[in-house]
Amino acid sequence: MALLEVEGLLVRFRTHDGTVYAVNGVSFQVDEGETLGLVGESGCGKSVTSLALMRLLPKPAGRVEGGHVRLDGTELLDLSEAEMRDLRGRELAMIFQDPMTSLNPVLTIQEQMVETIRAHTELTAAQATARAVELLGTVGIPRPETRLKAFPHEFSGGMRQRVMIAMALALHPRLLIADEPTTALDVTIQAQVLELLRALTAEARTAVILITHDLGVVAGMTRRINVMYAGYIVETAPTAELFAHPSHPYTVGLLHSIPRLDAPEGEPLIPIEGTPPDQRHAPVGCPFAPRCAWRLPACWTTNPPLEPLVPGTPVVLTGDRATHRVACLNLPTAEEAEAGMPLRDGFVAAPAPGSVVDELATAEVPA
Amino acid sequence: MTVGAASISRPVRERASRGLWRDAGRRLLRNGPAIVGLVCILIFVVGALLAPVLSSYDPSVGKLVDRMKPPSPAHLMGTDLLGRDEFARVLYGARLSLQLGTISVVFGLFFGIVIGAAAGGLGGKVDALLMRIVDVLLAIPGILLAIGIVAWLGRGQIQIMLAVGVSYTPIFARLLRGSLLALREADFVLAGRSIGASRLRLLVRHMLPNALTPLIVQATLALATAIIDVAGLGFLGLGPGDPRVAEWGEMLTDSARFLQSAPYLIFFPAAAIVISAIGFNLVGDGLREALDPRLRR
Repeated sequence: MALLEVEGLLVRFRTHDGTVYAVNGVSFQVDEGETLGLVGESGCGKSVTSLALMRLLPKPAGRVEGGHVRLDGTELLDLSEAEMRDLRGRELAMIFQDPMTSLNPVLTIQEQMVETIRAHTELTAAQATARAVELLGTVGIPRPETRLKAFPHEFSGGMRQRVMIAMALALHPRLLIADEPTTALDVTIQAQVLELLRALTAEARTAVILITHDLGVVAGMTRRINVMYAGYIVETAPTAELFAHPSHPYTVGLLHSIPRLDAPEGEPLIPIEGTPPDQRHAPVGCPFAPRCAWRLPACWTTNPPLEPLVPGTPVVLTGDRATHRVACLNLPTAEEAEAGMPLRDGFVAAPAPGSVVDELATAEVPA
Repeated sequence: MTVGAASISRPVRERASRGLWRDAGRRLLRNGPAIVGLVCILIFVVGALLAPVLSSYDPSVGKLVDRMKPPSPAHLMGTDLLGRDEFARVLYGARLSLQLGTISVVFGLFFGIVIGAAAGGLGGKVDALLMRIVDVLLAIPGILLAIGIVAWLGRGQIQIMLAVGVSYTPIFARLLRGSLLALREADFVLAGRSIGASRLRLLVRHMLPNALTPLIVQATLALATAIIDVAGLGFLGLGPGDPRVAEWGEMLTDSARFLQSAPYLIFFPAAAIVISAIGFNLVGDGLREALDPRLRR
């Protein structure tokens, strides 16, 4: 049994402007000690998925409206708030994007760390302090005894993120969700923090879900990747396999929109045209169809499920041998993936059917 | 010149943590107007505390022979209609103003924090109900509310404190609720929840301390208005209700009819009111600047 099993997760936001279809039936599993990357553009549902796992969606707007989240067989969505609170920090923990605002500015590091440790253990204040010193040392903060008494504003961004990592790992959680943990940091600091995160979680066999839009980060950090688009997982594969054989047009587009050092000089970047869909509309057809160069007429009306890339392969959900699965009706060939565009003679992306055109046209007109 | 090994090695910037309040105190002392304000408050507080030392006269007993004397070495600020020493009355008036002002602000602060924390912390229906009540109270001008309460409960020091305190409660409540609402969305609160902190703990330990600085500033500014409000009630004849007690507002009323013949009688209590109010205002503004998170580093 996998450590974490997410099945058909549906998250909706009820807002004044109507319902936002944030996560639309996402299923995946994570094994103990496994590192999974969640990749996608801003607004594709990565963070919402992780907040839903932690049951930390902003209330009352955000709601899980379907699916299952099981940690070690326990259905998290059925737990009471008090039971869930007991699990947070102890069984599953989270690191947030902005270390500058994720620590309480009026409390010292010591107060915050000791509080976290004591919330879930029977340690005395002195024991918890000793443990905090040890943890700060582990995450590479020099002179931890002295620094423990400092306030967050006396730390740099990288140091603060180290403190956040120390707090998240203080109680040896089994699953750590890291939501863009290095986005707010300098590039040089990014590498240090990622390496630290990798080393600490590998040692304790903590499973990690790493959320990022930075393909470079997932390439180095994860064993397996889920590519998300508009609240769907559109492609999933072990990391090496995904980079070697990107198969969904969106993944192909993502890989072609980042500059590469080994690319021939003068090769243009190919941006993905258009913007992610307005998720205030119930999804119809493939969510990527409006931006896709490979779309067929059927793509406007049918949203294909995740299927093994090689039809008929038995599906393995986790680990390094996980099956490469993709949700697409018209897969780009290897040559097309390499070129970043359809190469078939006379192929033209299917025009939108009338109803969709009208809907897009009316959506453009300001109310 | 030889350079020792110690001076070559990179200097380690290690300083003991100074803390928010010490930082703020330092900034406050660098702020000119705030210093002026502090001096005003100091004069006011020292005068109030040391009243029996500074003046040997009884503020409630006067010699009719000495009535309406202009300022002289014997009576620094002159004497009033009943021959009481004006200086002693201003000093003891400071005592009363300090006492009534502080207690009513503390009173308002207490109920404001309770109401604001309940509204901002619990949210939902509790919030809606409490804030509608606060809206009603805010719709009535503070001094009018205070007059109404004194008129209803009768004259007396406790009534004044209640009246002025109640008129500040909605201001504090609303201020705290606003800060708490903003803090509810703060990253560190979400981070706190993600490691399993309880709702009460988040409110008391994480949100309230962060919401306190605007309250402290507002409370200091409220002290200035409280002194004016207390004097205002006295001026309108709703003072402590004991003619022997020296109260700045009542002193103004008593001397108003001698404005032409004995202007000093109105000058000194008026000056006392103005100086103390300006003092708290300047310090309040200084605190606001010293505690401003945008200047914090």
